[in-house]
Amino acid sequence: MESIAHHSCFKCEMRPDRPFCDLPPDALQAFDQIKEVSQLTKGTVLFCEGRPSRGVFVLCHGRAKLSVCSDSGKRLMLRVAGPGEVLGLSATMANKPYELSAELVDNGQVVFIRRKDLLRFLKDNQNACMQIVHLLSDDLHNAFDRVRTVGLTRSRRSRLLPFRGRA
Amino acid sequence: MLSPYGLDIIESCFTCKLRADRLFCDLPAGALQSFESIKYATAYPKGAVLFVEGQAPRGIYVLCKGRVKLSICSTDGKTLILKVAEPGEVLGLSASVSGKAYELTAETLDPCQVNFVKREDFLRFLKEHGEACLRVAEQLSEKYNSACHEIRSLGLSHSAAEKLAKLLLDWTAKNGEAAKVEPRLKLALTHEEIAQMIGTSRETVTRLFADLKKRQIVQAKGSTLLIRNKAALKQIASAS
Repeated sequence: MESIAHHSCFKCEMRPDRPFCDLPPDALQAFDQIKEVSQLTKGTVLFCEGRPSRGVFVLCHGRAKLSVCSDSGKRLMLRVAGPGEVLGLSATMANKPYELSAELVDNGQVVFIRRKDLLRFLKDNQNACMQIVHLLSDDLHNAFDRVRTVGLTRSRRSRLLPFRGRA
Repeated sequence: MLSPYGLDIIESCFTCKLRADRLFCDLPAGALQSFESIKYATAYPKGAVLFVEGQAPRGIYVLCKGRVKLSICSTDGKTLILKVAEPGEVLGLSASVSGKAYELTAETLDPCQVNFVKREDFLRFLKEHGEACLRVAEQLSEKYNSACHEIRSLGLSHSAAEKLAKLLLDWTAKNGEAAKVEPRLKLALTHEEIAQMIGTSRETVTRLFADLKKRQIVQAKGSTLLIRNKAALKQIASAS
């Protein structure tokens, strides 16, 4: 894992298109100070289901597959997250173990923010806190869609259909 | 004041004795004062539908008393119960925040007191009170956590027996009975509703309970279920 000490979000051209990243200048300044930027290779596991949550990961470039696992190791893929998404948010906010695993499917750039820093940042920046609430609501909508697909679809074939378009 | 459903309605959140124990309700005085001015305290009988899946979001419902069944439905009418919400939970939260349709249906299982807040009032309240915004983020996180648990249980369990065993073990954990050798459970749902929780038929649930009783894994006394062989139940739950 190669870590880059300085990489400002102010220089990111994609920022206006990404809900969480498009913060007011003062919030972005504060965010720049608490983040750790890393260039990671395909296959890197960002976090594992069941492990204590350390913080959140913002995907700058690249995609990550999100999955859950049974005790016997059987894996169920939930979806593929794209650039601009914040991963590990709900576990970090609730201070619970990560409820799923995230693995990079491309070489990518990821920003990591420690739980303690994130909570302080959200307390100080009301706009960012509202963004987080919006992101969590979207995550929950996606999760309910997945529950509907897994729990109410009769055939395995039709379970796959809504999933193909998203990844 | 007594309501028609025998509920002792708590008119003001300031006088609610349970506030301190509830994640969303335990707000600082300033935020609580604002919340008081935008909420409508209402009482509902058993079986009332608070909101329906697919409906445009009107606002949030803070459950003060009673229990509410949360379910989703397929186009052919098959119902899946996601959970039974307990007092202190905020219902319709993600739909009200995002402006998307309610993603599930909420129906009261008991007479309930619910504090309703209109969507626009709620969004303004969140913008003005950072502490409340953080509490909402925590509530949404808890809900996401349980949705993932539900996906895991539905998507990775092979048989209905496995799902039922997992559900019973979950309930014992929630009731604080998990550490006991022979945990006790008060079954608050019918076989039909349990079937809707694990995505199977009522007949299968009845057959599975009969089988568990025959194998002396559980013992029923009225609506109370005694788990006599926890190890065997755990073995069924981890079969896949």
